[in-house]
Amino acid sequence: MAPGVTVVQLTNVTKRYQSGEGTIEALSGVDFHADRGEMVTVIGPSGSGKSTMLNVIGLLDTPTEGTVQLKGTDVTEFTEDELTEERRSVIGFVFQDFHLLPMLTATENVELPSMWDTDVDRRDRAVDLLQRVGLGDRLEHTPDELSGGQRQRVAIARALINEPDIVLADEPTGNLDRDTGETILEELTALKTNEDVAIVAVTHDDQLVAYTDRVVELVDGEVSS
Amino acid sequence: MSGTDFLWRFPSAKMAWRNLGRNRIRTALATLGVVIGVIAIASLGMTGAALQQQADTNLGSLTNEVSVSGGADSDVDGVTAAQLDDIESVVVDGTVVPQRSDATTLSTRSGDSQRVTVTGVTDAAALYETSAGQAPERLRTGALLTDDTASDLGLEIGDPVEYDDRLYRIVGLIESDSGFGPGGSELVLPIDAVAEGDAEYDSVTILAEDGASATAIADTLEAEFNDEDDEELSVSSFASAQEDVDNFLNTLNLALLGIGSISLVVASVAILNVMLMSTVERRGEIGVLRAVGIRRGEVLRMILAEAAFLGVLGGIVGGVLSIGVGLVVFDVLAGDRLLVFGWPSARYVVGGFGFAVGASVLSGLYPAWKAANDPPVEALRG
Repeated sequence: MAPGVTVVQLTNVTKRYQSGEGTIEALSGVDFHADRGEMVTVIGPSGSGKSTMLNVIGLLDTPTEGTVQLKGTDVTEFTEDELTEERRSVIGFVFQDFHLLPMLTATENVELPSMWDTDVDRRDRAVDLLQRVGLGDRLEHTPDELSGGQRQRVAIARALINEPDIVLADEPTGNLDRDTGETILEELTALKTNEDVAIVAVTHDDQLVAYTDRVVELVDGEVSS
Repeated sequence: MSGTDFLWRFPSAKMAWRNLGRNRIRTALATLGVVIGVIAIASLGMTGAALQQQADTNLGSLTNEVSVSGGADSDVDGVTAAQLDDIESVVVDGTVVPQRSDATTLSTRSGDSQRVTVTGVTDAAALYETSAGQAPERLRTGALLTDDTASDLGLEIGDPVEYDDRLYRIVGLIESDSGFGPGGSELVLPIDAVAEGDAEYDSVTILAEDGASATAIADTLEAEFNDEDDEELSVSSFASAQEDVDNFLNTLNLALLGIGSISLVVASVAILNVMLMSTVERRGEIGVLRAVGIRRGEVLRMILAEAAFLGVLGGIVGGVLSIGVGLVVFDVLAGDRLLVFGWPSARYVVGGFGFAVGASVLSGLYPAWKAANDPPVEALRG
């Protein structure tokens, strides 16, 4: 796939939830796309539907209306098992709380998404990725032996292990101090070009906006910009 | 290759092992429950097996015997020579040993004396096992004496004993009180020496090949000599007694195993609880696994493997401890501690282990299924 080609495309996506106070419309007719080699930041106040949108893009949640296309394929009607396969091979996740498994070493955490693929050995790639994010000397450390910034870099390496087409980052700098956040953002920017992936980040951190190619603002579940 | 390298090939097993290592106290306590369950099942089962073996040993010499004596409606007191002939013609695959009984007091020069039963037989070898000397097939002149009696009275092989004003030389010592038989102190003499002049025999013992043919012989003799109103001969065999004892022991064994199983059921409920708690605690983590593309079946296998590890660990520790218990039980009940490694006993250890693993995996099913099917977006919220 050539650079600039659309990886994910949301068309007229609406997501409604049933809650105690009736139906909540988290997303209303959202159109969105992210292309290879670009970093898109989704901003908006809390409750604006940013997380819901990221979950829909990440195939963790399905829209009530509208379609989701991944690399040109409509995945809206995919079963949970099919969505799992897509997440495994196309999408990488970076979470605000890092979400590393405490009983695994840094290398094992990076290998985690491919751990059950016993026919391919991703150890070399895991070590290579950790070296690229500057953790070549922390390969056998467990998460509690790493700083917040180091943990997030392990998480970034984990997101890349299966050579995804898109990396989704939910408040990637939210739990980091400003300097550490900066290095993480430089890391993300570098991999955007080196790995030729699309990056979609959700944040209310202005610092992040400076590194992005495009900003999409969500207000009350609608794209406002 | 180290153990971890081996586990690495089975990602579910590796992850499960690491997860169990995170909360060692909880893992140890859950395992302890299984250990207790396995010990309960295996040691109770082995106790039953030891009892059974002991009963078999004690009954063993008697179960192939058919005992015949005078019937309630017989004109004579005992078995007549004619009846003996008939018995011998009916029994083809057994040894027929007629006997006469009496009692006497043996005394020594030093003044010790002891009351003994006197049995007159022709074929002493068939009925008695000697601890010293020999029991001749044709007992014509000598005497056999129970070894306890001999040592009480200070008698040895070659010494004379007196009965009915005649002297008999002791040719062999027999083991006393092996099993349910008459037991006690017994002096065995040639048949003609006892109750001389009687035409009848007090009893006839038939030694069959085994318990089943003893039962068959007893049935044939019943049909031959007796009918509903007229019991000429009283026929009894111990084969049915052993069957009764076996049945009782089987029931006892089942009851013991039942009690043991309850503790393993309790242990598996504890595992269910532990697994459920740990999957609820790790909900967010399992959500991450699902988000990064770990399949539902893989999450399921990982959690099932955790439960299986608890069962296997508990089963191994419990099995080893059970063998320890079994060594003591067999030493006390059966007198031979090594019998614990025989299949009748060892199968309870194997069974306890299997039950432990099975119950644990079963207990892991629901937590595993629940965790695997939790929608990732819900799970990620923790």
